[in-house]
Amino acid sequence: MWKYKKVILVKDTDTGKETVRFSELFNSALRDRGLDGEVQVIRSADINVYNQGIVVKIIPGNITYSKVEEKDIDLIVRKSIKKEEALKEIQIDPKDKQVRIVLRNCGIIDPENINDYISVDGYKGLKKVLEQNDRDKVIAEIKISGLRGRGGGGFPTWMKWSFAKDQKNDTKFIICNADEGDPGAYMDRSVLEGDPHSVLEGMIIAGFAVGAKKGYFYIRAEYPLAIARVELAIKQAREKGLLGNNILGTQFSFDLEVRLGAGAFVCGEETALIASIEGKRGCPSPRPPYPSISGLWGKPTVINNVETLANISPIMHKGGEWFAEIGTERSKGTKVFALTGKVENSSLIEVPMGITLKEIIYEIGGGVLNNKKIKAVQTGGPSGGVIPEEYFDTSIDYESLQNLGSIMGSGGMIVMDEDDCMVDIAKFYLKFCVDESCGKCAPCRIGGKQMLELLTEISEGKATFEQVDKLKLISKAMQKASLCGLGQTAPNPVLSTLKYFEQEYVDHIKDKKCVSGKCEALFIYEIIQDKCKRCSLCQRNCPVEAIPGDRDKGYAIDQKKCIKCGKCFEVCKFEAVNR
Amino acid sequence: MKLTLNNFDEETKNVKKNNKNWIKVGLSTCGIAAGADVAFATIKKVLQENGSDVEVIRTGCAGKCYAEPLVEVKIEGMPQVVYGNVNEEVATKIVQKHVMGKQLINDHIYLVKDA
Repeated sequence: MWKYKKVILVKDTDTGKETVRFSELFNSALRDRGLDGEVQVIRSADINVYNQGIVVKIIPGNITYSKVEEKDIDLIVRKSIKKEEALKEIQIDPKDKQVRIVLRNCGIIDPENINDYISVDGYKGLKKVLEQNDRDKVIAEIKISGLRGRGGGGFPTWMKWSFAKDQKNDTKFIICNADEGDPGAYMDRSVLEGDPHSVLEGMIIAGFAVGAKKGYFYIRAEYPLAIARVELAIKQAREKGLLGNNILGTQFSFDLEVRLGAGAFVCGEETALIASIEGKRGCPSPRPPYPSISGLWGKPTVINNVETLANISPIMHKGGEWFAEIGTERSKGTKVFALTGKVENSSLIEVPMGITLKEIIYEIGGGVLNNKKIKAVQTGGPSGGVIPEEYFDTSIDYESLQNLGSIMGSGGMIVMDEDDCMVDIAKFYLKFCVDESCGKCAPCRIGGKQMLELLTEISEGKATFEQVDKLKLISKAMQKASLCGLGQTAPNPVLSTLKYFEQEYVDHIKDKKCVSGKCEALFIYEIIQDKCKRCSLCQRNCPVEAIPGDRDKGYAIDQKKCIKCGKCFEVCKFEAVNR
Repeated sequence: MKLTLNNFDEETKNVKKNNKNWIKVGLSTCGIAAGADVAFATIKKVLQENGSDVEVIRTGCAGKCYAEPLVEVKIEGMPQVVYGNVNEEVATKIVQKHVMGKQLINDHIYLVKDA
């Protein structure tokens, strides 16, 4: 038996500094009333409510109080501990903003045991599909659900399936695109590692719906654990009769194979991915024809992203209408995001479509790291853009994000603060696309390189406003004339930073200044002698010994040695280091 | 035994019975990078030393990346909690204090489930 009857969780959700003191206060209040043997006071590491002062949660009963003050403690003990009453004035009802469909089993089941998946309604969607034995019905159900491609494009899934189904061809293919490559994105990896069978089941159902007998998992080779778990899942599914010939004893046969991607970002583009599976160099080819008509080895092929496929089984099992109730009018269901960057709680989250960035950052993410000032959020990786703080109330769905000049993307969400320079960010993403361009078409190959050179000139303070005009001009050409999504969307980070943070470009060009302190050519670190207290902290923290001097003579930065890492700036307690 | 449409319900009805008491450790790339394999091994070892039959289950990523490694503990009669930042020391504590001593542990609770 549990040693206690109740537990009081305590957490200072502002600075964390008062957690210890308040938990002691609760302890002594309990001792005063002789309750310390019945109630355990626990300093909670996270109480899932943020910036609400001292937060206290009583379990069982789950009564939560926010902004608790010292004077409330005795009353809480008397009312909510001795009796079961709640103090209405400070009570809050924190709701979990997350809805888990894709991640329903991640962290819950053993991904290496098929029985674990079966015990949580696994393969029931497939069973229902095969019992009904009606391909049109499957596609109709997906249509009702309103599911759209989660790889970023947002194309209606039912339509893709329907095109492939209508092709009269004995050989068709299903491909799972697990070539996740956006910087900072790891949604697909987590699903494959945490619940591989959910993706398998989605592929088998897709195979039945379009009339395919064979499917490929295209996984990047940098995901060894995901590959191992998918291969194990395939083996276990075969043993159970869920994959291979005569699935579940029916006439339907379907099998799966894993193909590894060698780490080329462009292979996430569907035509390049197909070329890669065919053993050719991973270069895109013009569409149409779309893969649903003529894809792998010229056969009708459905390519879906990992997250899209993980949605299929619950839709089949619970019905399209259930799914369509979640989300907004045109974007149904949920979206998984990898929330990273300058946010307190870097996490993998799944939220209903229509939620706002504000809710994600402050209510799930716990706010900005180190209480710095937030500048923007980047979504959609190298194909997306930045969204400034003014738009954090915008509903998250395919259309609204696009209207803001960004995209939903596959789910990377990077929080940026005052220390992030927007010119530098644009340069980073563009460099990524230049490195990853396959070189097949000129707009992407040459345009990207030219844009990067222009941006580099801006970041080094060597540019005029003419360079900005050129950036815009090349952007247009790349968007219109590039062969695939990589080149078409590569200018997005540049255009969106230009749109929302034009002043930063002006600073770099006109004043030759980078206020965020990222563009190295545009600033130096200096010690302001009047402010310096000669504490030697900067000297001790400098990684390259670029701050000679001693406590008598004072300190100065040797600019020749300085690598502009900013350590001295960070550690100085007297704001004596200038940038 | 292969599953068919006919035997599916019967064969899968009791496919998995979790022990009443269990500990789940998030063992995905992210968790392992943060040391979840050490936590997993430590918990197993200390449970054995204490002669406990609590089941230790490997799972995927539970999503709270900032608090990896994550360990969820369910002991009958006690609140079901998720501990975070579980290093070797905390893993040992989870067994000794939570499982054997029937008390919760300070400074590492990141979520209380089904409260």
